[in-house]
Amino acid sequence: MAGPTGDKMIIVDMTKQTAAIEPFPDAWKLLGGRALSAKILLRECDPECDPLGPDNTLVMAPGVLSGTAAPTSGRISIGGKSPLTGGIKEANAGGQPGQHLMKLGIRAIVVKGQPADASKRFGLEVTAEGAKVVPADAYRGQLNYELCENLSKKYPKTASFISCGPAGEMRLAGASVACTDQDNRYPARHAARGGLGAVMGSKGLKYVMVDAGKKSVRQPADRKGFGELCKEYTKGYLGGPQMFKHGTSSVVPVANMLHTFPYKNRTSGQSPDAKTLDGARIVESFESRGGGMHNCMTGCIVKCSNIVHDAEGNYKTSALEFETLTLLGANCAVASWEDVAELDRACDDVGLDTIETGAAIAVLMDAGKMSWGDAKGMKSLILQEIPGGTERGKAIGNGAVATGKFTSHHRVPHGKGQAIPAWDPRPLKATGVSYCTSPMGADHTAGLIVNPGLAPDQYAYESQKVQLVNAVNDSSGFCQFLQCSLDDIRKFYGALYGEEVTREQIADQGWECLCDEWEFNRRAGFTQADDRLAECMSQDRIGAGVVFDVPPEIIQQVYTRQPAREDMFSAKAAG
Amino acid sequence: MPSVRIPPPYRGPTQGTAELSVEAASVLACLEAVERKFPGFVAQVLDEDGNVHRFVKLFRNGSELRRDPLAERLAPDDELEIVAAIAGG
Repeated sequence: MAGPTGDKMIIVDMTKQTAAIEPFPDAWKLLGGRALSAKILLRECDPECDPLGPDNTLVMAPGVLSGTAAPTSGRISIGGKSPLTGGIKEANAGGQPGQHLMKLGIRAIVVKGQPADASKRFGLEVTAEGAKVVPADAYRGQLNYELCENLSKKYPKTASFISCGPAGEMRLAGASVACTDQDNRYPARHAARGGLGAVMGSKGLKYVMVDAGKKSVRQPADRKGFGELCKEYTKGYLGGPQMFKHGTSSVVPVANMLHTFPYKNRTSGQSPDAKTLDGARIVESFESRGGGMHNCMTGCIVKCSNIVHDAEGNYKTSALEFETLTLLGANCAVASWEDVAELDRACDDVGLDTIETGAAIAVLMDAGKMSWGDAKGMKSLILQEIPGGTERGKAIGNGAVATGKFTSHHRVPHGKGQAIPAWDPRPLKATGVSYCTSPMGADHTAGLIVNPGLAPDQYAYESQKVQLVNAVNDSSGFCQFLQCSLDDIRKFYGALYGEEVTREQIADQGWECLCDEWEFNRRAGFTQADDRLAECMSQDRIGAGVVFDVPPEIIQQVYTRQPAREDMFSAKAAG
Repeated sequence: MPSVRIPPPYRGPTQGTAELSVEAASVLACLEAVERKFPGFVAQVLDEDGNVHRFVKLFRNGSELRRDPLAERLAPDDELEIVAAIAGG
């Protein structure tokens, strides 16, 4: 048995509003998610194109293991040329669409072109019968939650949705792509970074509906072996410490202790409000308000996503995570997790990256244009000014660098035009090396290394190793929080297709993915001069007086492939 | 002597040291011995009241110490592992 066969790709031409089904190349069967997106973009997309023009290509690609019975493996990658960085971008999300697409044997949706009339909106319907582009003007400007509620009435209960909010329709560079979760089809899972929502909006594509009906999970070639792997990993995870069972928000006190819980536009690495922003407060609220932990996709055993209710016991938001509590909370001097929950919901509704938006508002506050901690003003800015299209709203929606220009404020913590996430490159210098060299810009999911005691001569090796492991992980469909290693992933691939996948093969796949992405960026005009962070990261000291001071010659070592060591194959994905 | 494995996030005070052996007959004594060698370490593991932070878990020879972990005895060939919750999100 050969494992899953007959896979397909959907090629969508938004200029003509057509959708065609093409066979998926057998040679690409071990390519999914991020690696597949990179391969398609390098072949199909001009790296010098206008990211918001017709020549950009938007890729939606589930992981290799999505749609199978492998635990926590249903993530989907969204890819394209980023309007934020000007380079290649992949952002991935949980939820159900990845699972549903793969149950239908759809390995990728490739969206090209642009409608002649920019005011037109369209949807893409994907079912077992095929794919078609349909008019969607009725949904123009709708917030994500309202949109998905309306789509839920229109389509079967088995359908899931991928959508962009008003920010995407307005082509704002901080816009996200939303995916619905499994329970209530809330659009709370976002491929958030890099402005891919703006690419989706620029193509007039308001939503994608995926209905796999009663299709069952993908059957592996080695059913017995695959089933044993699933049991082994599930038992191993559930029998272990389950560090994420209360969500990533429980990391707040550790991050604060390590001076990587940025406060007031990263002028400090610690917040005086760490206790009131601690995820433990969210968990405590479950008893009186309801809500709780859940899995965002079928088959997830991590269950890191929180469902957060307001004081009246009504649903407010879900997946209120560490990064959001940091960037929309501490970094803007907002002290209450409940205020951050409101802001998170607002960002999910408008379709904005909470990291970029929080960083942009912190720049606005640092410039003296808004009071620190003004959660009410922030909410109005996100829900009123951004969709309303005020100049200030557009600046915030376009991200931290745009906000710096708008306010003439020079202190903008970013890498390649993308706001630096919570994990700070000053105490975590190897993470800073990842921010400098990752094709994704400053993105913790590309290569997080939380090891403040690491020796300088290890920065490049560790960064390269984690970037490679994460590239493979983000191509597999596994959630990073399952913390799979290269050895784990290659065993699943081997059982899926009934053939051995060697250590060399899996490591080569990660390296090839990075090389494809770096090559795209090189063709887009990036040079070594872009491999740096904003000056404030090397000038403004935090914690024990640390700055990001890794010399360029160490940073550049990331581009030379290091000989594989044993630890590369057991290293866990981290982001 | 029992050995202690330090997780990467807590290697700032240990200046990169990932594992060391210390003279100690209990988990608490073990952590205090590491603190004497690397000041600032123990605050990462214990809170102001001297309890294990809720975001830290302790394992002896691969088994999690769930009840009163600090009072647990350590044999000379035991391995104490400290695990800290770290994730992006």
